[in-house]
Amino acid sequence: MDAMIQLIHVSKWYDRRPALSDVMIEIEKGEFVLLMGPSGSGKSTILRMLIGEEQPDEGQLFVQGKNVTKLKRSEIPYLRRKVGSVFQDFRLLPKKSVFDNVALPLIVQGVSEKDIRRKVTEALRAVGVEHKRDQSPSSLSTGEQQRVCIARAIVNGPVVLLADEPTGNLDPELTGEIIELFKLINARGTTVVVATHNHHVMRQVNCRVISLMQGVVLPERAMPDRVGV
Amino acid sequence: MRRLFYLVREAWANMRTNRMTTIVAILTTAFTLTCVGIFLLLYVNLQHAAGWLQEDVKVMVYLEDRLSRDGRLQLELMLKSDHMVGSVLYISKEQALAEFRTQFPADSHLLEGLGENPLPASFVVTLAQNSRSPEAIKEWVEQVQTMGGVAKVDYNQQWISLLAELIGYIELAALGVGILLSAAAVTIIGNTIRLTLFTRREEIEILRSIGATGTFIRVPYFLEGAVLGACGSALSLGILKVGFELFRQQVQFVSRFSEMEGLISFFPLSACLALVLAGMALGFTGSVVSLLRIREGRV
Repeated sequence: MDAMIQLIHVSKWYDRRPALSDVMIEIEKGEFVLLMGPSGSGKSTILRMLIGEEQPDEGQLFVQGKNVTKLKRSEIPYLRRKVGSVFQDFRLLPKKSVFDNVALPLIVQGVSEKDIRRKVTEALRAVGVEHKRDQSPSSLSTGEQQRVCIARAIVNGPVVLLADEPTGNLDPELTGEIIELFKLINARGTTVVVATHNHHVMRQVNCRVISLMQGVVLPERAMPDRVGV
Repeated sequence: MRRLFYLVREAWANMRTNRMTTIVAILTTAFTLTCVGIFLLLYVNLQHAAGWLQEDVKVMVYLEDRLSRDGRLQLELMLKSDHMVGSVLYISKEQALAEFRTQFPADSHLLEGLGENPLPASFVVTLAQNSRSPEAIKEWVEQVQTMGGVAKVDYNQQWISLLAELIGYIELAALGVGILLSAAAVTIIGNTIRLTLFTRREEIEILRSIGATGTFIRVPYFLEGAVLGACGSALSLGILKVGFELFRQQVQFVSRFSEMEGLISFFPLSACLALVLAGMALGFTGSVVSLLRIREGRV
């Protein structure tokens, strides 16, 4: 199996306080991984590093074989086009329609009008909100908004999908629906990394879990059935 | 195509979102550019007036009474063959007297008591187009004054020098005021863009997270700055035109200056377009200054 994500001896400090200490993680292509840990354990820091938003103080990070720590500033947008991001607060543009929100990553890449229509329709269909395409995100329920956020993250076919507390604003029922959606995306071959402190999620996914505590990776628990592996 | 449409639409949305700031920016830019425009208009018209006066520069070469006909013809030939000379007109003593009587009929009796015609014969020399600078005229006059048979050379040197000096000052003032007020316009537009950036910082964050390059993020703000600058500039031209027409009307009313009316003119169309483009450039510069902080992957 090829490694999709590698963190090699990664450390990070904020004001001399360690956020990550000598983290070693390897996630293979097509894997579904949960990054578990309480607030401040370093989950979000890892995700931010994987999209080049932060740099480690020590160590190296690789995404699809590319050393993220060595990327030039001008290369970071191109990394982000390969790595889809889902956020707890959705980060949708309220003045744009659902369709326009999802189309944004394709517009940024200069995809043709015809392909934008096709890909956005497919993504909206995949997350089950195709019928809401012309509505404003603010008129949608929180679950639907998160689905739109996921559609935006997968519309350009990323190799990795990173989700930072994607169910943080959702009730248990909606959490289950969103996790099912991630499983489907993973089943299509996308590597999925979900950072969460929600243990319900762990029970619903039944996948590899990487636990973090105060910036340190705890010994992994072996799960019997890995999704997508 | 959609990308271009998106960028233009974003620029328009930026301006609509901060409507009041946009209007204030356009008005203040228009005001500052109007001040620059007043100096420019003054400068252009004085240049025009100077050109017109220099067109009319005639150097009077008065001849000595004892100069023979051959000597006069020889001198006329010398003047005509000079590359600095455009045309030469001979005025005899009789013609000069007749002209004096025509121009000053009330004073013609002054000459009657003198018996002999006291007015000298002269050449009226119009200098060639490229030899009308105050320095060139002065140099040429000094040279002619040394020629045999020439009694005196006269021309409106003081007036031309004064005008040239005045134009020089206006040019300096226009340049100084222009630089100062252009910097003000850049700052005003820059602050407007900064405000837009602040109100749309979350959107910028989202764009960054989905892989938008710095250029993609910046273009709508560049467009916004350029449009603000162009609108401000166009408005300032409108204000100047209204002011100019009012001034011209006043000139028409005052009969003493009525001759001036034909002399003053507004900017030609090409200059108006150039000024709008200059406004655009100022606005664009304002955006660039504000957006220097946005680097790839960091706002």
